[in-house]
Amino acid sequence: MTTRAPDSATQTAPVEEARTPPSTSGIRPNPLREGLRLERMAEPCTMVICGATGDLTERKLAPALYNTLLGGFLPPEFTVVGFARRELSDEEFRAHLREGINKHSRNKPVTEAIWDSFARGIEYHRGDFDDPAAYVRLAKRLERIDRDRGTAGNRLFYLAVPPSLYPEIVNQLDRAGLAASGGRRRTGSTRGWTRVIVEKPFGYDLGSARTLNHELGEVFDEDQVFRIDHYLGKETVQNLAVFRFGNGLFEPIWNRRYIDSVQITVAETVGVEGRGEFYDATGALRDIVQGHALQLMAMFAMDPPVEFHAEDLRDEKLKVLRGVKPMSPAEVAANTVRGQYVSGWVEGEKIASYRDQPNVAPGSQTETFAALKLSIDSWRWAGVPFYIRTGKALPSRVTEIAVTFKQAPLALFARAGVPQIDANVLAIRVQPDEGILLRFGAKVPGQGLQIRTVNMDFRYGSSFAVDSPDAYETLLLDAMVGDASLFTRDDEAERAWEILDPILAAWKDEAGGPLHFYGAGTWGPPAADELLERDGRAWRRP
Amino acid sequence: MAPAVTGAQPSATREQAVHRKLMSFGEAESLATPLWEERDTSVRAIASHLASLWDASGLPDEAGGARVTEKGLPHARASVLNLIVTVVDGEAADRVVRTMEGLGVRHPSRAIVLVPEQHGAAAPLDARISTHCHDASGGGDRVCYEEVVLTVRGEAAEHLNGVVAPLLIHDLPTHIWWPGDPPFADPVFDQLVEMGDRLLVDSADFSDLLGGLRRLASLRRRSGVGDLSWERLAWWQELTAQFFDAPRFRRYLPNLSRLRIRYAVASPASSRSDEAEEVAPGTPAPMAQPLLYAGWIATRLGWRRHETVEPLRDGAFALRLEGRHEMVQLDVQPVVTDEVRPGDLISVRLRSLGETGAAEFIIDREDDWGTVATNADGMTALLRRVRMQSPREHELLSAQLTMDVVNPVYEDALRAAAILLASSREAEG
Repeated sequence: MTTRAPDSATQTAPVEEARTPPSTSGIRPNPLREGLRLERMAEPCTMVICGATGDLTERKLAPALYNTLLGGFLPPEFTVVGFARRELSDEEFRAHLREGINKHSRNKPVTEAIWDSFARGIEYHRGDFDDPAAYVRLAKRLERIDRDRGTAGNRLFYLAVPPSLYPEIVNQLDRAGLAASGGRRRTGSTRGWTRVIVEKPFGYDLGSARTLNHELGEVFDEDQVFRIDHYLGKETVQNLAVFRFGNGLFEPIWNRRYIDSVQITVAETVGVEGRGEFYDATGALRDIVQGHALQLMAMFAMDPPVEFHAEDLRDEKLKVLRGVKPMSPAEVAANTVRGQYVSGWVEGEKIASYRDQPNVAPGSQTETFAALKLSIDSWRWAGVPFYIRTGKALPSRVTEIAVTFKQAPLALFARAGVPQIDANVLAIRVQPDEGILLRFGAKVPGQGLQIRTVNMDFRYGSSFAVDSPDAYETLLLDAMVGDASLFTRDDEAERAWEILDPILAAWKDEAGGPLHFYGAGTWGPPAADELLERDGRAWRRP
Repeated sequence: MAPAVTGAQPSATREQAVHRKLMSFGEAESLATPLWEERDTSVRAIASHLASLWDASGLPDEAGGARVTEKGLPHARASVLNLIVTVVDGEAADRVVRTMEGLGVRHPSRAIVLVPEQHGAAAPLDARISTHCHDASGGGDRVCYEEVVLTVRGEAAEHLNGVVAPLLIHDLPTHIWWPGDPPFADPVFDQLVEMGDRLLVDSADFSDLLGGLRRLASLRRRSGVGDLSWERLAWWQELTAQFFDAPRFRRYLPNLSRLRIRYAVASPASSRSDEAEEVAPGTPAPMAQPLLYAGWIATRLGWRRHETVEPLRDGAFALRLEGRHEMVQLDVQPVVTDEVRPGDLISVRLRSLGETGAAEFIIDREDDWGTVATNADGMTALLRRVRMQSPREHELLSAQLTMDVVNPVYEDALRAAAILLASSREAEG
């Protein structure tokens, strides 16, 4: 049933229209949202997936969208446009998404009725990424969708294509008038936002990262660009902020006065398995340290942001990264260890040497293991070493940050014959068993004084047994809401390369020390242990 | 009249039946481990047994032994809340058994099920302690809680708080779930409310809906209140709010001129009766949900009572309310159906005829499916299908247990619901 407005109402409507500001920020919040479980809701929008027939769409994006829909987080107007070269009908594209959900979603198979009404909002746009006409047609299509489905000119472009295609696509979007946001749009509706999501890697080194950022920046404002690193969408990374800033207990001791050292471990048990070509050109430093490990360190070490907003948060993270000074070749030799695995046993299975993997150069110098000693030259962290290690074919799959606190200032129990008590350790486990472990000394019951170190092991899983959303679900929704907190800003990505470039360079010309070898299933080469032993410390065995 | 906690009504045999039901509680559940049971016991004995339960052993496994992490260490348990459930009749006992089993991994850390018995010469206190463990999603974690079923007889049954207080995990929020019609006037009920941080009831259970809503609304000064009927509305609220997430539709909100709510009743409405809301046998107050929904919209949008258009009759009424810009007509109408649980909403229509144009926002439910539609701006109707199953009681309870102790939005809606119901009746006389 359609209700028509009486004449008087339609006549007054344009006046209201004219007063409405072009951006949505001036409109009062929805009063019915208050107190509801879902306090944030994506605005109606169209998501254009460039490279929609690829693997990422099938494995990650389609399931993430579907689960977000099931959770009730997607506005009814939400529309998907798949943009790719392949000749597909709308129906075939819908079937492609559906297949992806049925294969990879945490909720599967799709429920017919829900899918049917969702599928009506899915279209396919065939075109070559270098063909201007394809973008002109895309612009027309998006305007039609805005009219028909009420998506209000809001557009989210997801570049699910190799980074080499980014410049072409963003320039074409710009030429077709699709890149600008709100009032800066030259054509069509002047309202609505435009955002673009790009996938990591954010460059290959500082130069390429700058070029990429420059190319994006020519067309988009930085607040339109969302650099997605799925690692940051994990529940634990968000939890780290809650743990630090939601509790009064930890923040006062989170500094050089109480903390002796910090270890960050990102360990994988798998080898390179089928990704030989990619990995041999990348290595552990670029693959893990650039994004994951440095981001974890920044989240761990940052000062409390003024507000829990994207810009404040990223300003604080950037300050941490700016405190890490790039190393000279001699410092690289002293403070880093690189390794490559040779054949061995991991979790009861034999793993062949890295160099024997398909698509890996026989004499490859690529590191599959990296250990770094970094320092953050800030008031808070001066003198506290941050040890980072990451590797493939290690004994267990674990990501954790372990904080070792300083010893008690006086060995009070030494006279009673008790040797130095172990330092307290607080380990924050990111995966697989998200939780927090605290090690402290306790008296063994009985006469006499005997002190033992005990572990207090808390797992999130044993108190909150709820299904966590997949990282892509969280991040897609964030992008639709416009919250960039968990996305990497251009200067963060560039600063990470400024730290790593000298290491990569020194490793390349051997000034940064030799490539060590380690057996698969061990915790890296002995040189990595020596890195800590020199400081009178040892790696934790997570 | 609500059954009193220790009223004269329950017979000794019926009390025994309740006792039997609860004492066998959990046996059907493969993961429940009965650990300890004692007739004629003492609070101190129960407390000391609870204390030794997790001691040194971490979480118990199926055999009641130590449960350790894969590194051979016992788990530290993170406790979240206490739950006290009071069971006064057989129907409540059935409900409690069903619901507690379904709570699964979303659980209290310690549940105390109280069975007060006035009759029978047996010993004053029987207790049974069992643990419930469930596999949590992924990671191989198991989530466990312990449950204490206490049968309290004679004079002790008039001082339930004294029995329960020493058995709670200290310093945790304590929720009190009262399945059935709560005896607001009973001093024992009062004591329990005093002890807890939050009282959970289902306003659909109220035999006197208006009286119950008013009591509950005044109770909130002392304790948080939660309502399973409110929880049943969560999805309707979400869908309603979604209409107005889009800024271009939000401008219709101040100009809403009509809200029509239809709700399910089980059997043909009986002929005119004084307790007009009692149209569905089996559900004492099917009007609870439509009233809370109307109260929610009215308080969020700042509507005020104005006049009665159609007084309450056979579960239907119409009121005129004063909105911020427009007068709003509120229609509440029962629909006889067996496809939907009595009391659940069947249809909500919001109409706006203000200066910004005409629009209608519709949610219709049929079986387990809903149709959500927007007709506005003269554009093609936005239509979609959504799933609309009636949640089961354990889902409602676990959702309520995860909520904050105080929920101002609900409390506002509750007060408004009482005012709306009273207004619909006032014109009767």
